[in-house]
Order: sequence, then C-alpha cells, then structure tokens
Amino acid sequence: MASHDIRDVLNLPAEGTGLRPTKKPKTSAPRPNLKGLAREVQSLGGDNPIAIVPEISTFKKRRFGSRKPAARWELSPFRNSARSDQSLQLRHWKKETEDQSRATSQPQSDGQTPGENSTEPAKKTDAVDDSNFAKFNVQVDVPQYSEDQYNSNLVNDDWTKDETDYLFGLARDFDLRWPLIWDRYDYAPQLLGNVKEESDVDGTDSNTAMIPAPKPRTLEDLKKRYYEVAAKMMAVQKPVQYMTQAEFSLHETMANFNPVSELQRKKFAQDALSRSTDEAREEEQLLIEVRRIVARQQKLNQERQDLYRRLDFPPTEQDITSFKSSAGLSTLLQNLATADRSKKRKPILDTNGANTPGSAQPSAQPNSTPVSESRRESIAASTGGHRDSIGGGERPERPTKKGSQQQQQQQERKKLTEQEEQIYGVSHHDRLPSGPTFRYERINKILTTKSNAQHQRITNTLAELDIPGRLNMPTRSVVEGMEKLLGSIGILLEIRKLNDKIEAEIRLEQAKKAERKKAAGTAASGSEEANTSAEISSESASANTNEAAHTTNGENTGSISAEKESNSEDGPTSKPTTNSTINGGERHELTNGNDAADIEQAKAESGEDNNIRPTSSGHKRSASVLSGVSDKSTKRLKK
Amino acid sequence: MAAQQQPLPNSQAPLDVYGGDEVSALVLDAGYCHTRAGFAGEDVPKSVLPSSYGSLKNSDPDSTTTTYRDIFGDECLYPRDGFEVKNYMSRSESVVEDWDAATKIWEHMLIKRLQPDRETRPVIKNGPSEPTADGEGDVAMEDAESQEKPLAENPLLMTEAPWNTGKAREKAIEIAMENWGCPAFWMSRTPVCAAFAAGKASALVIDVGGANTSVTAIHDGMILKRSIQKSPVGGLWLSQQIRTMWDNNDPKVNVIPYFMIENKTPVDAGAPAQARLRHFPFEITQSYRAYEEERLLTEFKESVVEVWKGPGRYLNPGNEELVKSQPGRVFEMPNGWNQMWREQRYRVSEGMWDENAALPNPDGSKAQTIPELIKACLGAVDVDLRPNLLGNVVVTGGTSLLNGFNDRLNNELMAMHPGMKIKLHAAGLSTERRFGAWIGGSILASLGTFHQMWISRKEYEENGVGIVEKRCK
Repeated sequence: MASHDIRDVLNLPAEGTGLRPTKKPKTSAPRPNLKGLAREVQSLGGDNPIAIVPEISTFKKRRFGSRKPAARWELSPFRNSARSDQSLQLRHWKKETEDQSRATSQPQSDGQTPGENSTEPAKKTDAVDDSNFAKFNVQVDVPQYSEDQYNSNLVNDDWTKDETDYLFGLARDFDLRWPLIWDRYDYAPQLLGNVKEESDVDGTDSNTAMIPAPKPRTLEDLKKRYYEVAAKMMAVQKPVQYMTQAEFSLHETMANFNPVSELQRKKFAQDALSRSTDEAREEEQLLIEVRRIVARQQKLNQERQDLYRRLDFPPTEQDITSFKSSAGLSTLLQNLATADRSKKRKPILDTNGANTPGSAQPSAQPNSTPVSESRRESIAASTGGHRDSIGGGERPERPTKKGSQQQQQQQERKKLTEQEEQIYGVSHHDRLPSGPTFRYERINKILTTKSNAQHQRITNTLAELDIPGRLNMPTRSVVEGMEKLLGSIGILLEIRKLNDKIEAEIRLEQAKKAERKKAAGTAASGSEEANTSAEISSESASANTNEAAHTTNGENTGSISAEKESNSEDGPTSKPTTNSTINGGERHELTNGNDAADIEQAKAESGEDNNIRPTSSGHKRSASVLSGVSDKSTKRLKK
Repeated sequence: MAAQQQPLPNSQAPLDVYGGDEVSALVLDAGYCHTRAGFAGEDVPKSVLPSSYGSLKNSDPDSTTTTYRDIFGDECLYPRDGFEVKNYMSRSESVVEDWDAATKIWEHMLIKRLQPDRETRPVIKNGPSEPTADGEGDVAMEDAESQEKPLAENPLLMTEAPWNTGKAREKAIEIAMENWGCPAFWMSRTPVCAAFAAGKASALVIDVGGANTSVTAIHDGMILKRSIQKSPVGGLWLSQQIRTMWDNNDPKVNVIPYFMIENKTPVDAGAPAQARLRHFPFEITQSYRAYEEERLLTEFKESVVEVWKGPGRYLNPGNEELVKSQPGRVFEMPNGWNQMWREQRYRVSEGMWDENAALPNPDGSKAQTIPELIKACLGAVDVDLRPNLLGNVVVTGGTSLLNGFNDRLNNELMAMHPGMKIKLHAAGLSTERRFGAWIGGSILASLGTFHQMWISRKEYEENGVGIVEKRCK
C-alpha cells in the first residue's frame, strides 16, 4: 500500500503532480537495494522517504573456494658459512616451500616433533641451507709476512718480532679499529730468554732489553709500525714501479705516515676540547663571520663572472658559414629584425598591459620615467634575445637572472651611505633627460643662449677672473660651480648695466643742477642737497651701496685692493679698479658667504691646469672680509 | 628504541633492512638488584626477579644437620621463621659471588619460568604470577642434574659487568655448556648492550644502576677497557644517603618497613605515628628486615627524591632558598607518620654530582661523582673519539630515572665541554631504562649477522673454557 492509495482513500488530491517526475528518480534510486521488511517500510513512506529504515549490513562473503590453506612454517635448521666451525646448526622458523610441503604432506602426523626434526637434517646434511647473513661477513686484509721476510725487510730497533706479531694479531682481531687496538694493547714480552736473544741480535743496549717492562705505546707508535710494515710488504709483493695508481697512492700514504704531525693534531684537538665557555662562544662568532665573508666573496665572484660573460661576445655553437655571404647576412638581419619586433612588443605588454601597441615606438613616450625605464629594459631584453637567436642557448634563464640581479642592485643601493654616494658619484634625479649628455655642453648652453654682446661680456669677465671659458676638467662639482659662477656673472652684468644707466642719470642731473645753479646764482641750501641724496638712494639701493662703498669707506677699499692684489698676482690682467670694487661689492651683497666660497673654489679648480693655484684660504678670508664689509655698508646705509 | 619496536605495516616494512633472524635464543642479564631473563627478540624480559633470594632453614625436627633451601622470586620473600635473604651478586662489583646460588636462580628463571611446559618435564603451569600449590613460591630444582640437558635447543646470551674477571666468565660458559647443554653461548658487556638498545654502536654509556654507577666508552660495539670507570654512586648509595638524612632529621625518622605494621591511623604532618606493630612468633632476621627497608627506601626515591637540575650546583648560594620557597612533597611512612620534604630531597642526590654535598656515610667512604667519572672516562680514550662520544651519550639504569637526572647530566656535560655538541639518549620508557642492557642483548641475539659470533658447543669442547676470553673481547 503506497501513499497515493491512502490519498485515494481519504479523497485527498494527488499533491504536486508537477514535482512528481523530479522526485521519483530520487526515491526510486535506493529502492532496489532494500529487501524484505525494509522495502515494505520504505514503501509505506511512498514519495516521502522515511528517515529511519532498518538497514541490514551485509558483509562480503568469504570465498572459501579460492582460499588457500594456511601457510605452513617449519623449524628448519641452517648453518652460517661465515663461521669458522660449521658444526653449529641453529634453527629458525621458515615458510615451507612447495616441494617440502609436498614431501611432508604424507608423513604429516609424525614429522612434527622437534626431536625428529633435529635428527632429520643430520641424515641429509647437504640439504641444510646457509644463512642469508653469511655474506655480510667481511674481513679486513691485514698483511702477512714470513720469518725470512721479517728478517730481511722489517727489522726495527724499537720493535721486536714478537711485538710486531702481537700488533698484527690485534689488528686482525679488531679489524684495524685503531682506538680498540690501542685500548687493548697490552704487550708483555713472554720469555726473558727470547728478549735477550733478540737484544743480542739487534745489538742494542742490553740493559734496557733485559728489563721486560712493556713500553707504553701511543696510538701513533702503533700506527707507524703497522703502516711501515704494511708499506714494506706491499712493496715486496709488488715493486713500486708496477703498482697501479690506487695502490701506489696507498703505499705512499702508508710510507709517509708522520706520527709527529698526528700527535700535534691531537694536541690541537685536545686544546679545542678544553676551551672555556667564552672561548667557545668567541670562536663560534668568528666562524660565523668567516662564513659570511666567504659567502659574500662567492657572491661577488659570481657577479663578476656574470659581468665577464656579459662583456664577452656570445659564443656560437651553430655553423656561421651560412651568414658569411651577403645574402646570408641579409637574411640574418631580417631574422633579427623580426625577432626584435616580436620581442619588443611582448615585454611592454607584460609590464603595462593597458598600453596601446603604439607606445612601443620609442619616440612615443619620452616623458613618464617608469614606462621609459621598462622600455629600456625591454630593449635590453630584446637585445639579449638577439644574442640568443645567434648563440641559441640559455634563453629561459635570462629574465630570472636579470630580475634577481636587479633586486640585488636595489638592495645595494639601499645600503649606500651618503659618504659612499659621494665616493661613487651616485646622484639621484627626479627626472633625467633622455640620452647621454656632456657636462661641458651644459656650460656651453648657458653661453650660447646669450646674445653675442653678452657672450662677449661674460667671456671678458671670465678672463678677468682668470677662468678659462672651456673647462679642462668638467667634474660634477666643477660644472655646478661654473654654472653658479656664470649665473652670478649674468646677474653682475645686469646690475652693472643698471649701474651705468643710473650713474649716467646722476651725471645728467648733476649737470642740470649745475646749470640751474648757474642760472639761479643763488646759494644751495643743505637741506635740498640732503633731499636729493635721499631721492637718489630711494631710486636705487644697490647703486647707493656701491657709492657708499666707493666714496665713504676707506677701509673697504683697502681690503678690496688687497684682494685685487691677490688677483693681480694670478695673472697680469688689467682691470679698472672701479669695476673690481663694484664687482666685489655687488657679488658679496648678492650671494652669501657660502656661495662666494663656492665660486672661489670653482675658480681654483678651473685654474688647476695653470698650476698657479692661489691658496683658497686666502681667498676665503678675503671673501669673508668682503661680506663683512658689505654688511657694514648696508648697516651704514640704514642709518 | 621505541621507533624500532613499532611494527610497520606489511607494505612498508623494509624486508631487506631488518636483519633479524630469530633462533629462539635466551638472554640473561644479572645485576645486583635484579636478574632479568627472557627470549631474544622481545622488547622486555619475560622474567624479572630480585637478585636477592630467600634461604630457608630446614626446620625438620628429626634431621641433625641444618640444611638450607633456597627459594626465588619476590612473591616468596615474606616473613617466616629462619628466613635469611641473601644476594648471589657482589655488592661492590656487581659480579657473581655465590656461584651455586647463581646457578640455581638462573636455572630457575631460564628453565622453570621461561619454559614451564616442556614435554620433557612434568607439567607444572606456574607462570610468574601464579603461586604454586605448596604455597612456597618456587622451589629450587634440586634434580637439575638428572634432567636431560634442559637448554639443549636455546643458545644463551649472557651479559656481564665490563670489569668482570676472566675466571667468572669461564665459570659462566661452563655452567651454560655443561649444566644446561646450550648449543651456543655468548657473553656481552652490559654497556655494549645498553648502547645497542639505544641504537648506537659507538657511545658513552652512563649506567646508573642499583649498586654501581659506571661510565664506559663503546667504540664500534666494543668496550674500551681503559675507559671503564666505576663508582658506588648508585641506588644503594642513595639509600644510604637517605638513611643518613633520616637519622639527622628532627625528629628522627624511624625506618619501619611495611610488613611490621598491623594497622595504622592517619595522623597530621609531623605528628607522632599511631600504629600497632605486628608481632611474629619467630625472630625476623636482620637480612630480611634490611631487604624490606630497602623497598621502603626505593619507594621514597621514586616518589620524593629529585635531582637539582642546575645550572650550577645545588649548594651554590640562593638555590636552597629557591627550593625552600617551592612546594615540597609529602611522604607517608608505613606507620602513618608523614612530613613534607622540600630542600632535603634535592640534597640527598646532590652527592652524585658534588662531592662536598654528599652526606657523610657511616663507613666514611667517599664516592666518585658522576662528572668525575665522565671526565676520567673521556680522558682515557683517544682524542679523536671524544666528540663522537659526547654526541652519543647513552643514559641507562634504574637510578637514572630520578626526576631531573638527565637535565642535570646535560648541564654538567655542557659545563665541562662548552661548544661541543652533546646529545643524551635516554629512553623515555622506564622499562627501557631499567632493562637497557637486557634489551640490547635481546636485539643482538636476534640479529641474523650475530649467528657467526656464537661460541658453539663444538668450539667449547675443543678449546675448553678459555674460549670465552678469546672470542668475547
């Protein structure tokens, strides 16, 4: 009885006919899995599946048919061929093999007791198998020597044959593990008579030989004796000239064993072990430091290598004969051009993806620096591509290497202090004009932009200052100084022009006044004069100062004349004193002390080639004096 | 060790790496406090018995001569008449002293306890926990000689103290071969086995046992004889220190073992005990009482005593005050008397590290401290080995389970050798620490490559007892 039957009985409408087709496959899916009572219960729920359904978990049926009988194990005897005596037969449990199980299947009942098992292998001893572990038995090769060989080759004053035998016995016993050999080394001469005999043979001091006290041997003594004997026996068996490379090097190592250096090494090791805490810490720090230095060195070397590789022309692996003809060259050029074009476009699109392809043209964007930078990079990359297309190698490595290098450079840049920047001439600019420029061109530009007459005047002034128009050593600071100087000269000339004009006006006025005087014939009042002078001062402050400096202050003129003297020392240039005084006064009024010093310096540097270099300190002093004077003069003016 | 024993799933088990090939060998490890026996290849000994055994006076009224019957196992060590407790090992040396008793107790363990139901013997199912019918515990086998060689199928590996004498070793192989008919025999030194148990072929083994503390350098699975250092600083020495402390305590602590208490009522800390003692109709021998007292002391060591972890020594100024300010531990004696122990519990163990801190023993003897032992041991080995040894320090022995022992040892080693890489290997499981040597022997005897090492019966018959000196170096 399903739910729709119940609905039928209760006269309920068949609900959600639209839903039914979608629900049906869901509910019907688990149905076939259910059996018996579960299916009945499930079907009661109808379309609404019942949550709790008794589930009968079924286990995988055991497949008795394919099941093998349990593996049979037997306690089988075995022997180990690595043993010196083969009598020992141990027994271990082992899986029975096919033929064995077949053989034992008939007498299964009686073949089980261990007693019988142990008697069985006794009957057929050849059937007893060998242990799997016998192959791990390896022994070291300790040289052997006969009595004759010992007497002819190996006699040593320090070692008797007995003791040598003892040593070699230990070496064999302990597989040449020296710490053990030394640890167990406890040689006692066995027979006094034997020792006596040997001492007679050796001809050594019989007194020492009589005392049977064993000599304490150090590990180095033992090694030395062993290596000595081993090397000699090696040479006896195979003369040195017939040895292979490996044998010979072994022979050399053994023959050249140096116990003294070993002892020293151990002493060092001992010292290292008995360090104090502080020493240990210090050493650790030093080690870290060394590691850092080495790492840095390595990095530096690698960078240098990189640089060399870059500077080197790319080696070609391909055959270049095809490019030797003119036709070949033209095709190469074409190839390069196409490669260039395709390369050039890509990186730009990568770096600023929104860019139009038109911006790939180098002329299209002279302004924004980041873009132009990336362009430059892309060009560099594409030139790298050029090389690759010829050299045909390492293309995928390029960009990553470049990136990492750039990173490194950036890191370096961060590290630079101001001082270092000065040393390396690193400077930062907000904007750079495209392409390289020469510094002297900057100077020339200033000059060439002026009119001809002005140019002439500037050169004249420069000549007065004894500065060559063209700089011999246009370093940055010199050029900067020169620029400043030229600027000052420009201003100076401007002011001089103004001055001339005013002076001419004054003269004109004075002439007019004189004329008026003459005409009026009356005596001039002091107040009027004062008025005129005030008028003049209001007209031009700078002119007044000049006048004041020129006319009233004797001190000033004196100091200026001192400077003039020093200037005249430099070169036999003749200049009008008025000019020079005005010059000095003007200059120092307009520029502060520092600037003045800069100009002096620039002058000094530009005059380097003349080798008549005036001491800058003198100049500086004069400059300060001048500036002080100018201060005074301005004060006076205020009064 | 733990990683070794954890079975890998079959798919991962590296068949070619595991070199085991078991030949049902037995392993016997005798110490002063306990004797351990079991099958090679297992991770703990099947049978652990105290090396102390009971000797019961035969109280047969009609016999004219007094005979003694030896009984083994701690379950039969209870108060009875005419009952002496003896130890077959030597207290100072940890080597066998009483060979007759040793043979008996070993036979008892190897034959009766490990192979209880061999067909050749009358079937008696007496597992270690199961008391026998007569209530006497286990009775020594007097009829051992009459047996058809009881161990004819099992190779036997025995451990020995590194300073064991040649005579003792020869005696051991003689017993194994003649009395028990072992097909093969081997003797291995305890520190070597302990190093193997930690998975090391080269190690500096610090074995802090019951009667002795030994420091031995192992190189490639062999002891360096010159490096062997031994000191009585061990469990029994520590017990003596505790006794001295108890004697000097205010009030004096009476050592009354459990068996003497009939009932007790709980009392406050420091209050006098309220307990009724048991009275026995016979005299309790001094040896039995000492044995029981030792058990009480062991409990105190396990639950109260701690090692000052360092840095520096405990007697350095300030340390004692620091300890006093920290919570102590309460220990209740069997009679109910209890007290909080604070600084004293550090003080008793400090003598292991600092000679000046040791409480005076009644016999006035002084014991070498553990740092001194290590120093002497390292001084006697080649310089080239020392760094490697310090990087492989194996700590074993039951007394090393004292709280804070490893920290202190590490601190001491660091102070002795600054700048060296020091690594301690101390098993985390207490059983592995207590049975380190036995476990190492178990590993060794179950290795496939070890088969070529056994001294076989034939070799023994050809060469006599001297072969053990020649082979087991």
